[in-house]
Amino acid sequence: MKKIFEIALGILAAIGGFVDIGDIVFNVAAGAMFGFELLWVVVIGVGAIVTYSEMCGRVAVVSQRAVMDAVRERLGYRVGLVSLVAGQLVNLLTIAAEIGGIALALQLLAGLPFRVLLVLAVLGLGIVIWALPFEWIERVFGYVGLTMLVFAVAALKLNPNWNSVASGFVPHVPSQDVALYAFFAVGLIGAATVPYEVYFYSSGAIEERWTPKDLGLNKANAIIGYSLGGFLSCALMIMAGALFYPRGITPESLGTVGLGAEVPLGQVGLVLALIGVLFAVGGAAIDSAFSGAYNVAQFFGWEWGKYRRPVDAPRFTVGWMAMLVAGFLIVVTGVDPIQVTEYSVIFSVVALPLTYVPILLVANDRAYMGRHANGRIANVFGIGYLAVILVISVAAIPLMIITNMGQG
Amino acid sequence: MSDAIDLGLGLVDHQLIDSEGRRCGKVDDLELTGIQEGRLQVAEILVGRRGAVHVPWEEVAKVDSGVHLKRTAAELRLGRGDVRARKLVAWIPGAQ
Repeated sequence: MKKIFEIALGILAAIGGFVDIGDIVFNVAAGAMFGFELLWVVVIGVGAIVTYSEMCGRVAVVSQRAVMDAVRERLGYRVGLVSLVAGQLVNLLTIAAEIGGIALALQLLAGLPFRVLLVLAVLGLGIVIWALPFEWIERVFGYVGLTMLVFAVAALKLNPNWNSVASGFVPHVPSQDVALYAFFAVGLIGAATVPYEVYFYSSGAIEERWTPKDLGLNKANAIIGYSLGGFLSCALMIMAGALFYPRGITPESLGTVGLGAEVPLGQVGLVLALIGVLFAVGGAAIDSAFSGAYNVAQFFGWEWGKYRRPVDAPRFTVGWMAMLVAGFLIVVTGVDPIQVTEYSVIFSVVALPLTYVPILLVANDRAYMGRHANGRIANVFGIGYLAVILVISVAAIPLMIITNMGQG
Repeated sequence: MSDAIDLGLGLVDHQLIDSEGRRCGKVDDLELTGIQEGRLQVAEILVGRRGAVHVPWEEVAKVDSGVHLKRTAAELRLGRGDVRARKLVAWIPGAQ
């Protein structure tokens, strides 16, 4: 019974932890531009993140080594360094976007000046990370982030044409606006698979002291947690497809996203939606700050972990603080957080293969993994999704240029 | 794990862990001896890029996914960057 409870807790945290500012921006924009036509792409993105999270979690549990350890071991110092730098640039853009997202949500809730809220956001995140143990951070943000499920209720109440919704899950390519459609497809997969998720997931397995007995928990967490997170992504797209698409509204701010809950559910819906966004994005900000610190420590072999006292993993501690400050410095310049989000997602797609290939290699190494090495199913999915990731990582930048970042 | 390991895949770039379970660097390079004599042997682990710290192979207790050492990082002069960084965080309440 206790076991089931534990699994449920972990899964709940995973749902809230999956959706971040990138998912919100791309799912809502895709719904507003193409209605329900891109729902099937969300399924592909979720499949990829489930496959690679399960794999890197299993590697971490069995070998006590996280993703950036595997990158260094498999790619060596030089190529590994390219992966580290690329991953860190994306982490920086991501944390900047998330911090900006927190401030935007706070602004809609409280209405103070944006830059003041940025300072509050960073200080708040710093204090929370410093004061709360790892498990609590993950759970508080995961659970409160679940109030985003209000978007699922909103989508239902907007009474979309369910036949069109269903046909959106069938893979297809439209007859016009193909480049724009492809750009959003790349963005949706990128948003579902941002690299910090695997960095954080694998390091988190070690933080939480999972042992091979927890491999079932790892699988359940990855499959159910991320699938339900994907459900939330779909809800956002269906909401936007039912509300914005028919009216030709292009959501350019987080306020428009909130409107998606306010129109069908009133003020209560709006407040719940903003609280959900605040915590989901806040959790993602913490995950990406930690990821930045994990990556550098793991690449150079330094002591790391929130489970250590700050003085016992000092370079790791300085690392996450530096991530918060750097993210703050990027958004405080006045760049549009939504635009930073779009860039972070598109560039993350480009950097992804250098993260996923080492995971796949290590997970297949029997000397390392013993009987927990990849089976046939994990490899069929692993190689299949890697092929998809390779294609979109090549296509991402050209599509970004052709479509002028989705502006058409 | 069997006795034979692939030096490139199984040793170089792997995590070093000291006798107290602390992570204290990576195997950045290896020094091999006995090449002329035909009795090749790993003599030292080199840690760090420039001005590397040399850890004699006798200090290795066990090799699995990481390389476990027989003594503490401080005794082997490893993980010295943590000593410097510790000063940056030690003053904050709750850091100890």
